[in-house]
Amino acid sequence: MGIPAEAYLVSLLKLSGMGPARLEMLLKELSPRQSWQMLINEIPAKIAKTAEVSEHLAARWAAEAATEDVEETWRRHCEAAVTMIRRGGECYPWRLSRDSDAPSVLFAQGDPSLLDFPLVTIVGTRTCTRYGAEVAFELGKAAASRGVGVVSGLALGIDAAAHSGALEVAGAAVVGVVGSGLDRIYPKGNASLWGRVRERGLLLSECPLGTMPERWRFPARNRIMASFADVCVVVESHVDGGALTTAVEAAKRGRVVMAVPGPIRSPASAGTNRLIADGCGVICEIDDLFVVMDVVRESLPSRAGRTGAGSERQASSDPEELTPDTELLSAFEWMPATLSTLAERTTGHLGDVACRLERLIAEGKVVQRGLWYERSSLA
Amino acid sequence: MLATVASAVVQGVIGHPVDVEVHVSPGLPGFNIVGLPDVCCRESRDRVRAALLSSGFPWPMKRVTVNLAPTGLRKEGASLDLAIAVGLLVAQDVIPKEAIRKYAFIAELGLDGSLRRVPGTLSMADSVECPCAVVSPKAFAEASLIEEKEILSAGSLQETVSCLTGRSEFSSPLATPSEDESLIEEDLCDVRGQSLARKALEIAAAGGHHLLMIGPPGAGKTMLARRLAGLLPSLDADTARVVTRIYSAGDFRIPPGGLIRNPPFRSPHHSTTMPALVGGGSRTLRPGEISAAHGGVLFLDELGEFSPTVLDALRQPLEEGVIRVSRAAGSVTFPAEFVFVGSMNPCPCGQADGPGGCRCSESARMRYARRLSGPLLDRFDMRLFLQRPSVDELFRGKVGESTSKVRERVLRARECAARRGVKSNSSLGAKRIEHEAPLDEEASKMVESAVASGRLSARGLQRVRCVALTICDLEKKPLPLRAADVALALQLRQNPVSLNRSIAAMAASNSSSG
Repeated sequence: MGIPAEAYLVSLLKLSGMGPARLEMLLKELSPRQSWQMLINEIPAKIAKTAEVSEHLAARWAAEAATEDVEETWRRHCEAAVTMIRRGGECYPWRLSRDSDAPSVLFAQGDPSLLDFPLVTIVGTRTCTRYGAEVAFELGKAAASRGVGVVSGLALGIDAAAHSGALEVAGAAVVGVVGSGLDRIYPKGNASLWGRVRERGLLLSECPLGTMPERWRFPARNRIMASFADVCVVVESHVDGGALTTAVEAAKRGRVVMAVPGPIRSPASAGTNRLIADGCGVICEIDDLFVVMDVVRESLPSRAGRTGAGSERQASSDPEELTPDTELLSAFEWMPATLSTLAERTTGHLGDVACRLERLIAEGKVVQRGLWYERSSLA
Repeated sequence: MLATVASAVVQGVIGHPVDVEVHVSPGLPGFNIVGLPDVCCRESRDRVRAALLSSGFPWPMKRVTVNLAPTGLRKEGASLDLAIAVGLLVAQDVIPKEAIRKYAFIAELGLDGSLRRVPGTLSMADSVECPCAVVSPKAFAEASLIEEKEILSAGSLQETVSCLTGRSEFSSPLATPSEDESLIEEDLCDVRGQSLARKALEIAAAGGHHLLMIGPPGAGKTMLARRLAGLLPSLDADTARVVTRIYSAGDFRIPPGGLIRNPPFRSPHHSTTMPALVGGGSRTLRPGEISAAHGGVLFLDELGEFSPTVLDALRQPLEEGVIRVSRAAGSVTFPAEFVFVGSMNPCPCGQADGPGGCRCSESARMRYARRLSGPLLDRFDMRLFLQRPSVDELFRGKVGESTSKVRERVLRARECAARRGVKSNSSLGAKRIEHEAPLDEEASKMVESAVASGRLSARGLQRVRCVALTICDLEKKPLPLRAADVALALQLRQNPVSLNRSIAAMAASNSSSG
């Protein structure tokens, strides 16, 4: 028969309740093909003993195996250009190979060489605030522009924002680790992001195609993200958020964990603030991440553009001191303000203030968020 | 015996003259109405019989046929009651045939013989060919807006007959010419703070620009919108007549003076159905809320709660200023030119744009955003974010300008628009805007960068120029438009980011501009 051993492995993984531990147990004694044949030939008792599962579960496996078409499943994986990376194999990521809890098989779509980059894992809550989404976006973008790969879980909220930020940069290394089969896009709303990560980066999952996004798979997925991380950043998390499990897993593996501080009144930052209280690293500004990662900033080409912009900025702020623009800037009092308040604090003419704001926004000295205007850190 | 009496019916807002022919002949007693009467019209047999008998007139114990000509036209409503009763009396020689020659009769009959008002009396009285029209006292004020005809009124059938037989005179209750009866009790100076929003209202009133207000509950969206109607100029003679006609036909409240002079303000609830909003209905084609707002303001509070199909039905009338309602029974056109003001929360919890952020999940926010379709959003020349006024503004804020003061500027800006040959700047076409709203150097640089950064579409650019032109008119500044005008117009055209983009894309636009 022309069916390779990997095909049996895929089918074994499709069995319900087959996790990495049980699979390891099986493979210690039997080859994938042998295990499969044992299931087909209805000797579940032996399987139960080897994998240390109940006979009941083994019988269920046998029933499932009877309806499974190994060849068809394998063909589907080949057609979808899914690469299978086995533990102990040559391509298996070196970060995982030292991990006791690592998946025995990884399914990948995209470019596996991205895993050789320095990697930062950016995670956080799905129900994030605008602040969290923006910080995640900026972190993702900054990391990508310095040649650091961004690992995230392709969930809504922080995960999506971090990847969107990274994808802004051409040639960014983005790695998405998902909890379902690579053909089961979840959540549906992230379909386009999912597609872009597959095209331009790498998608990873420990489940074969067709696996539904069950609840328990997400914490399992988190441990993979954690072990990929050189640094794990939690942007926003509720007190009992799933992102915290990633942080804990990362800490267990000796990775650096950092958190983005937030207002103490914001429930979306309660978890991250708690992390900081417990002694993890703090991201006070975006660059803090790179100090920890020991990324030499000047060596990266994308840095050139930024310094250029910086010197220009200096030139423009040099001449006279008290222009109408600086007057407007001082009217901010370092707090977000609306157009109406700004007009009241200065000349009172809405049109003039709007005009000056437009100019300041163009110069990057003021940032607009909805109806609020804020002085940016440049001004 | 045959009698022909003039009357009319209304379809939509248009009156159609109808000849009521009553034929009384020997035969088995019976009463038939032919000529496409609807149920309400058919029931007039019972009303007319009771009215005749209780007024002391004879009911013919003969075969009676009533024909409503033209027979092809569907007759709806009770406006023919009086004409049928008069026809019966003529056929029985109670009233001489010559006496009714110059009269048309437009009223519903009560069982006691009293005359009642029917919706659309104004249009019907206008449509008849006779020089005089008899209407109920309640409808006299609206009907007497027709100057070419003599409008008469009588309280009851008995009174009508005695006038027709020359025993007394038709009364014409003196029209109380209290034209501007409703004082503007909601003044703009009640609004504290919100200087940008007040400016937006002023611009909306001056240029006829549609306005969308997005803000948390309690920001004053409804309060502001209610004050917009007071800023608009009074209706000109033509519009006032059209609006009164619509009100008459749609059975909306008409002021005692008859003519509607003040721009209407309509704010239908969000459970409003499509026929109620745009007009129509299963039987009679009635004008809807958007026609009732003709010449004034249509305010849809909680825009996100309206059903999307109802909202999208607004797109075509917003573009054309009329609404064509077609049913199998016929099609009618209602005028519908109004300033459209919408208000909505930024997200279901309402706090999305506050500094504290909101607690809605991304999917809830997206679902909320999808209620407002892109094309409809595009119709708003101004989209404005509002915030709650601060405590300071609320208690110690300056009292702003009053409605009358702002209105003066609005009227002046409308004069500028009139010099361009349009009612308001918003109806200037793309080509005219190119010509009428030149930009100075700084301003054109500003719009260029706005277009280049993807903040403005080509269509958006036209609208921004148009709004900037109104701003310039309000300030009595000479053209070309300056950067300040354009900047304010740009500020008033916020992209409701939380409405139509995901949070990630939003962060993208922010960081690229910052």
